[in-house]
Amino acid sequence: MDRRFFLSAGGILLAAASPLAWADDKKKTGSGSGSSTSSSTSTSTAPTGSAIKSRVIVIGGGMAGATVAKYLRLWGDGIAVTLIDRNSSYVSNIMSSMVLTGQRTLTSLTYSYSKLQSAYGVTVVKGEVSNVDPSKGQVQLADGTILTADRIVMAPGIEFDDVPGLGSSDRMPHAWQAGPQTTLLQKQLSAMTAGGTVILTIPQKPYRCPPGPYERACLIGDWLKTYKKGSQLIVLDANSDYVAERDNFVAGFKLHNIKYVPNSAVQSVDPGTSSTGLMSIKTTDGVTHQANVVNMIPRQKAGGLVVKTGLANATEGRFAGVNQLTYASTVSGAGKVHIIGDSSATDQPKAGHIANQEAKVCADAIVRSLAGLQPDPAPVTNSACYSTITMSQASWLMAMYQYDPAAAKMALAAVPGVAASTGWNADNFEDMNTWFSALMADSFA
Amino acid sequence: MRHFFRTAVGAAVCTLGLSLAAQAQTAPPAGRLLASNCFQCHGTNGKGPGFDKLTGESSSEIYKDLKEFASGKEGSGIMAKHAMGYTDAQLQSLSNWLSTQR
Repeated sequence: MDRRFFLSAGGILLAAASPLAWADDKKKTGSGSGSSTSSSTSTSTAPTGSAIKSRVIVIGGGMAGATVAKYLRLWGDGIAVTLIDRNSSYVSNIMSSMVLTGQRTLTSLTYSYSKLQSAYGVTVVKGEVSNVDPSKGQVQLADGTILTADRIVMAPGIEFDDVPGLGSSDRMPHAWQAGPQTTLLQKQLSAMTAGGTVILTIPQKPYRCPPGPYERACLIGDWLKTYKKGSQLIVLDANSDYVAERDNFVAGFKLHNIKYVPNSAVQSVDPGTSSTGLMSIKTTDGVTHQANVVNMIPRQKAGGLVVKTGLANATEGRFAGVNQLTYASTVSGAGKVHIIGDSSATDQPKAGHIANQEAKVCADAIVRSLAGLQPDPAPVTNSACYSTITMSQASWLMAMYQYDPAAAKMALAAVPGVAASTGWNADNFEDMNTWFSALMADSFA
Repeated sequence: MRHFFRTAVGAAVCTLGLSLAAQAQTAPPAGRLLASNCFQCHGTNGKGPGFDKLTGESSSEIYKDLKEFASGKEGSGIMAKHAMGYTDAQLQSLSNWLSTQR
């Protein structure tokens, strides 16, 4: 037997010998688990044996990944769906700036995959994906398991560029991926002496959640006025102007006396050696700034697996080019791999609400494709969010996208384009909570 | 003439039969993907949790509501802006689908 044959046979054997990801798993919870779906078919139970008509692997259980897994089960016919994530639950980035001000806890923002399993029959695997082979439709886990599928959906979110000079210091947290970094920044803000200087840096676009850094600045600015009197917040923006919702953020920055410096990208930093000493940031405009607390949000790129698989072929090699009717990769030979959410390169914002809709468009396209049908030729997506301009009042921002066949991309709808509230108020703050609960339920429950 | 007519009808019936059979098995229902834009705020299939539930209304009622939002009669809030982003045919299609949800 030649070695090559042996290797490939071994691969097949491994695939066959890893039923954990496909079995009608024993983790399924008891009675009534399917009550939230009204489908007459067995959406709530993973298909087994001959009931499996096709298989889809979803990598990454964030807003996009969770939603596509749910809707493939809800809309598909006999599609066995396996969702792989390195964590056993998801911590929402949306609302996580309010952890910094003590208004939310990370626990309250944590979402499990149990509903996807019990109500939709998604098989959830906790694991690290080490390799994706687009041509074979294979996903290899770090423990050597190889899974094979008809389609692979990658939704690994973002990764951050290294910041020159920062090294392994944890003194300048990004807190842009909710979790330990959020807690770190919250503690540093809380420990700061009143009258100190806080710097928040905004990276060159595209980055996750366009209004997000400005929203966070407003929230921290309001919090400083109450809890750290006499402190100064400085926003260093690598972009030439406010990236989103300009009118509201200009007014919000004025309200909180936030100093805004555009065209000011981070060149290098010195986090210092003591845990209380000043940190410094040198920016591209030649200025060196000093601060007691730094929220360093670095420039972003697609999740490492997208880059490693060779699918980051757009935006200077940072994000993945996709067919915007299906979210299939535009890399030759990788058409059975779809990339949704923050890792893909489209004109749509990188944000949770629209990632949920990209996931539905992708799920619909996969369902059609597996049935030998063409994708919907005219999908629509929408983005909506609320921004905390103060600790108790919010604004809203939205955008609608229609497919433009001439440009072969999702383009801003002529009307309404991008729209925002005129100012902010407490009603919007209440609506924000309703919106957030609904969005998370549509994605995870 | 008569012969041609019968043939044409036969072909039409045949095509219709095929497309209905294919639809029943495979094609997603019209308007569902468009309507799914509503789910982030109104719940999966418009059934909550979230803002107003979208179920229990006829297609024409839903369409009329959406047209009122799109016209600006309901103000210029976030829902009005969303309603403005669809073509008339898209609003009709998603209203038709939503009316099937009970």
